[in-house]
Amino acid sequence: MNVQVIYCTHQTTPLALRERLAFASVEQLTRAYESLRATFPQSEHVVLSTCNRVEIYAAQDEANAPLTQEQVAEFLSRFHGVPQNDLGGALLWQKGPEAVRHLFEVASSLDSMVLGEPQIVSQVKEAYRVAQENDACGPLTHALFQGAMRVSARVRSETALAVGRVSVASVAVGEFGKSIFDRFADKTVLVIGAGEMAEETLRYLKDEGAESIVVVNRSLERAQRLAAEWGGTARSFDELDHWLSTADVIVSTTGATQPIVDVARFRAARETSDGKPVFILDLATPRDFEPRVADVDENVFLYDLEALRTTCDQNRRQRVREIERARHIVEEETDRFLHDIYHKATGPIISQLRAGWRKVCQDELDQLFSRFHQLDADERRGIERTVERIVNKLLHPPLEALRDEARRGTPQGLLDAVKRLFFSDE
Amino acid sequence: MANVHVFCFFASYVLAIALEGSAVVRRSTWLHWLSLGFIAAGLIAQTFYLVGRSNTADLPPLLSSSHDWLLVLAWLAVVFDLTLSVILTLVNRNVPMGLFLLPAVLLLIGASDLVGDATSLAMSQATDVVRRGAEERALRGWGMLHASLLVFGIGGVIVGFLFSIMYVVQHRRLKHPRTVTNTLSLPSLATLARLNWWSVVISFPLLTLGMLTGIRLVYLSRHTQGPIGFADPLVVGSGLVWLVMVGFLVWLLRGDHAGGKQVALRTIWAFGLVLATLLGLQVVFNGHTSAPAPRQASATDPARSAELEGMARQ
Repeated sequence: MNVQVIYCTHQTTPLALRERLAFASVEQLTRAYESLRATFPQSEHVVLSTCNRVEIYAAQDEANAPLTQEQVAEFLSRFHGVPQNDLGGALLWQKGPEAVRHLFEVASSLDSMVLGEPQIVSQVKEAYRVAQENDACGPLTHALFQGAMRVSARVRSETALAVGRVSVASVAVGEFGKSIFDRFADKTVLVIGAGEMAEETLRYLKDEGAESIVVVNRSLERAQRLAAEWGGTARSFDELDHWLSTADVIVSTTGATQPIVDVARFRAARETSDGKPVFILDLATPRDFEPRVADVDENVFLYDLEALRTTCDQNRRQRVREIERARHIVEEETDRFLHDIYHKATGPIISQLRAGWRKVCQDELDQLFSRFHQLDADERRGIERTVERIVNKLLHPPLEALRDEARRGTPQGLLDAVKRLFFSDE
Repeated sequence: MANVHVFCFFASYVLAIALEGSAVVRRSTWLHWLSLGFIAAGLIAQTFYLVGRSNTADLPPLLSSSHDWLLVLAWLAVVFDLTLSVILTLVNRNVPMGLFLLPAVLLLIGASDLVGDATSLAMSQATDVVRRGAEERALRGWGMLHASLLVFGIGGVIVGFLFSIMYVVQHRRLKHPRTVTNTLSLPSLATLARLNWWSVVISFPLLTLGMLTGIRLVYLSRHTQGPIGFADPLVVGSGLVWLVMVGFLVWLLRGDHAGGKQVALRTIWAFGLVLATLLGLQVVFNGHTSAPAPRQASATDPARSAELEGMARQ
């Protein structure tokens, strides 16, 4: 089976080089497929380009020569205008079973920066879809990518590799926020400061439906910029106490060197609220909220970075424990895929061989029965069964040899030998 | 069907709890589904058992004996658990409902064993339809209504009790994220508070109507050989329990409590008291339904309500 993959990932290649090799837009991908088709007309292709990896899968039938690493590397260099010298050893190469296994691991998120992250499956699906749209797929890549989807689904359902969130913002919103509130659409989100973590958290909150966003910052201009970006409103820092009592969700990421909300201040704010649950994410270092704010009342849920990271680490450890089970599934599915492919390669020859021998037998039996009319039905059946047994015994050794060889790969040499030995007309 | 024994479904539910516990620890979806499978198997066995008992006694399980009435209550709890679990699992929320609800089911099945499973002499007489007059039919109808209202009301109390426990567990996890390693996937506090509120709001009127129908039964039983007295321990105990429920509901509706955790804790106390009292009364005062001699019936005891039917005809 001729399948190859050339790739660079976050594990092996610096971001600067990955950026130069990436296929960033659909237009660029379309041009890449046109160029691949022109350069390697006998080959099927799928290009997978994400922020963490650039991979080109290629496959050819047995009649065509497999691509080499140099050929594909040269294509990448020429297409992106990156000198081959700059590539150095950044491009890795796998072929045959290793290439299949690599794709299955990628689709199962075993090769992802965040183990078990779900986006990679969509990215693999999307890459396959775009390749189909560009008529770049063929029987092998269809089977390969459909197999990858199957492996990914199995890993997700049979292991806990994707269970639990592992980034601070996703843990904060998905694991804690959603355990407090049913929905965020009717909640007021107060953002104190305008740090990078606030933006990431806001992205998750917006995904969960948060609409009412208030940004309070010492610099009103920065508050306005962040508020405009997320469809919120900017307020003066003087209004902080009012919003502390009004907000349902508070995300704090200031660069203050001392806590800006102490127990007394927060207790005063709570006295003017109706005691509803408040979800506070203190993402600042050093902290913006005094830890004892969490004890003001039972409906105050305060999480600082340390608490969130503890949960992230727990989830990550849980995922790592699942790696072996996931790899076992990948191995199983790789074997199954290869077996199916090799079986398809040997199947027609075996059928042809059986059919040819049966025809010879049947012709001889017909001649025999035409000469011996006195044979009754039972005797004829007995003779037929005997001849069939002889044929099966004679065919057994070559067919077993084919099956054995097929377990190790397409037995091209043996197939050719069988054709020459048994099909003299071919 | 005749070979189904209490042990069959009891063992099924025990296995389901063990599997659900393993599913939580290992975060395994298939163990969770296996647990649901055992719950379903137990439910089928329990259904066969109750149908068999009902056929033998020629009475609905709600009226045939305290043993069967408690098993109907357990059966309803399992149906609720299984339905909710399957729905939540299908929307990718593997909430281990069974870990909370099935222990209560086992408790009910255990209590049903303590009250005995024999059909009373009075009830066997009550099945004599030919002899049944208008008064007996009224008693039977009111008895059935009384038992149904109580079983659904107490079912609501059990569910509310368990939602409150879930609330407290979830609250503790959220308040102590560093120290509590919790692999339990539970509904949000807002959902649990809402479910808790609804369970109180639904179970209270059902229990109240159960009380009122019980009073009607007291009235109807005046001319029977076994009239019910208001001094009956079951009547007195049930009345006190109802007063606890009134007090709790008033507190809940006044809304002067600080937060959901207080509501959950008070629900646990109030509903726990209700359940302990009602089950305790069943076990202490209704453990010998097979006694041949007619005895005083209670307005809050569905099995003994059924006995009234038989007595009224005598």
